[in-house]
Amino acid sequence: MPDTHFYRYDEYDRTLVAERVDQFRDQVRRRLAGELTEEQFKPLRLTNGLYLQLHAYMLRIAIPYGTLSSRQLRKLAEISRKYDRGYGHFTTRQNLQLNWIKLEDAPDALAALAEVDMHALQTSGNCIRNVTADHFAGAAADEIEDPRIWAEIVRQWSTLHPEFTFLPRKFKIAITGSPNDRAAVRVHDIGLRLWRNAAGEVGFEVIVGGGLGRTPMIGKTLRAFLPKNELLAYLEATLRVYNRYGRRDNLYKARIKILVHEVGVEKMRADVEAEYAEIRDGLLGLSDETVEAIARQFAPPHLPPRSSLVAAVEALRLEDRDFALWLKSNVAPHRVGGHAIVTASLKPAGAPPGDASAVQMEGMADIADAFSHGELRVSHEQNLIFPHVAIEDLPAVYAALGRLGFAEANVGKITDIIACPGLDYCALANARSIPVAQRISNHFADLARQHDIGDLKIKISGCINACGHHHVGHIGILGVDKNGVELYQLSLGGDVDFGKTALGTILGPAVTADKVVEAVDALVATYLDARIPGERFVDTHRRIGAQPFKERVYALV
Amino acid sequence: MAKNLSGDLQVASANRLSDGVVVWLNDAGEWTTRLDLAAVAREGRAGEILLQRARAEAFSVIDPFLVAVIEEEGGVIEPLSLREKIRASGLTFDAIAAEAVRYA
Amino acid sequence: MPLYNEAGGLPATYVALSFADWRQRLDWPAVALANTDPVEDLAPHVGRLRLIVLDFPKFSDGRAYSQARLLRGRLGYRGELRATGGVLQDQVAFMLRCGFDSFESDQKGFGEALARARTLFSIVYQPTEDGRAPASLLRLKRRNVMASKR
Ligand code: SF4
Repeated sequence: MPDTHFYRYDEYDRTLVAERVDQFRDQVRRRLAGELTEEQFKPLRLTNGLYLQLHAYMLRIAIPYGTLSSRQLRKLAEISRKYDRGYGHFTTRQNLQLNWIKLEDAPDALAALAEVDMHALQTSGNCIRNVTADHFAGAAADEIEDPRIWAEIVRQWSTLHPEFTFLPRKFKIAITGSPNDRAAVRVHDIGLRLWRNAAGEVGFEVIVGGGLGRTPMIGKTLRAFLPKNELLAYLEATLRVYNRYGRRDNLYKARIKILVHEVGVEKMRADVEAEYAEIRDGLLGLSDETVEAIARQFAPPHLPPRSSLVAAVEALRLEDRDFALWLKSNVAPHRVGGHAIVTASLKPAGAPPGDASAVQMEGMADIADAFSHGELRVSHEQNLIFPHVAIEDLPAVYAALGRLGFAEANVGKITDIIACPGLDYCALANARSIPVAQRISNHFADLARQHDIGDLKIKISGCINACGHHHVGHIGILGVDKNGVELYQLSLGGDVDFGKTALGTILGPAVTADKVVEAVDALVATYLDARIPGERFVDTHRRIGAQPFKERVYALV
Repeated sequence: MAKNLSGDLQVASANRLSDGVVVWLNDAGEWTTRLDLAAVAREGRAGEILLQRARAEAFSVIDPFLVAVIEEEGGVIEPLSLREKIRASGLTFDAIAAEAVRYA
Repeated sequence: MPLYNEAGGLPATYVALSFADWRQRLDWPAVALANTDPVEDLAPHVGRLRLIVLDFPKFSDGRAYSQARLLRGRLGYRGELRATGGVLQDQVAFMLRCGFDSFESDQKGFGEALARARTLFSIVYQPTEDGRAPASLLRLKRRNVMASKR
């Protein structure tokens, strides 16, 4: 088994997770014996990642900062076979959801997870949720520092935090270490962006109060530059202010973004800084030694320099059009010469976005072992990533992915759709998401056409909770329910790219399910007619406004 | 749930505690996975009684509630809302099979 | 509601005054705060206080956890710190970590659960007012021991 290049649990971490499994086993036993009511039990199962959906319980497994070893992925496949229906769904929060778990089996499934140092802690409930990070971390050519070191530090601090387990509402933290933000830090409760100041020191920009959901907001800068070692003290100060003053009278006004909005970012900053001043010299300060010990575990694999120009790759590029397209859309630059970051698309034409069968998971684990130092990543776009692939291995990786059905050259393209589970699974949904995604995906399946259309992000949510991030889709699709009929509201102009983060605006009246594909087609046609060279869909929309899109769509539907 | 879907016919439903599976209450006061065996309340007052009965039998299920249904020809019971239709008949697309490596 | 005192001593028997009433009688040694009352205002008086009662209107309303930590950690309060309201056995480990040492609960089995709560988790990640060494500190110590052996 290959050595991992990210944080490994030690006996402390293992003990804690094991004790937590024991505690949950006892809680499940008490629930099944009738000693706990559903009202008392629900928050307990939720903090262990267990939801009740329409047809069954769902277990949401945390994949901290989206990093997985091949061994862990194989275990996930095994758990999905043994306790579920043999497939899983990768989510926009770098989690894996199993949709058919039995309550009776849940403690065993959690114990199996613990065997590979994984858990489902804090994937639900009003606590600090699983911390997310740039999925290219540790490999990206543009990276300043690996954000996962800090994500791991935050993971530990936030795990079973006694003060912050019953916050007004859930709390999501995302971290990026690159100027190209791939972690969407401006739409999280707290976003952390590592950057280098004029003095050459690396620190965090702390962004607060972003988020999607019912009241989407772009986060505001709370602190422009925070010395790294003070991170936990600053987070604790911010969470304490939120825990004390965040609203609890209205579920929909309880996120920190509403607090920031209501008191203003200046007052929020003053409160946080006052609290921080009290605790900054306390026990939460991080010693260099502690940080270095964790950082060492994220030391990248040794990648011998190799040639970037490989004859066999070039030959195949000329010969195989799909491979050439795949190199363009699914392969990103690595910081070590002769290497690349490969994104495997979990969005083959017509498939439920982000789903993988047990066999596919095992196949991906094999590819990771053979070609990517045993490591994979989950992206918030619901794809899987091989972070360290030698360029000369690209044809072999492409072929292996093709056998699994995950070699679609569509990353960032119109069929790389993000979709939440929607009404097929979710108890909160108004409308279905997955079948809509499937129809759009089938309609635009032609790869050459997709590449001609270029970068276009479609994001679909089955209700206002916005798990499919529709607000920040170039084209956002929101399912609504009108007198028992599913309708879909379209919005244009959303974006998560750093510096350009924007929320989409609604195009007009919602359309019926059978018109969604036509409507998207009309939007695309409008763009193709109006674009000037080099313009993406979202740029054209920004330049010409919504009107031409609107006219074309509503002439049709 | 949409307002205009409260028809006259109702059945009681819940999710089973042990595994979350969708169940309906039958005439014998037992929970069944078969909608066609569900006890049907035919007017508002009977609905209330059915719900009370469901709550009394709720030890092995989670939060029982009433579902508006229609009776089609031949006595086939069908939920009115899409949500309840999906609860009754499952996913509306084909989920991938454990051993599948390619999507159809 | 039954009272459980973790410290093992006799439960304090003072009647706790509401914050508003107590402000009229600052020499009284027992006060019951709402979870919106400003604990900071107690700073000049904590030396005299013997009992502070903090309220959980619902078990899911966690404001009193912060109040408890501020009282213990920042204000240095040493008297009895009692949790009341939605106090359930599955939260008691968190309450202990935040400095509570007595509990009012009518949940069945609460007493046994309280006895177990300190040993439920042998590892903690955060430094808090219970003084337990978090994992980061244990690791640091272990590294130092290993370094000194070398
Ligand atoms: S957006 Fe709504 S329908 Fe979709 S998963 Fe979230 S809560 Fe469910």
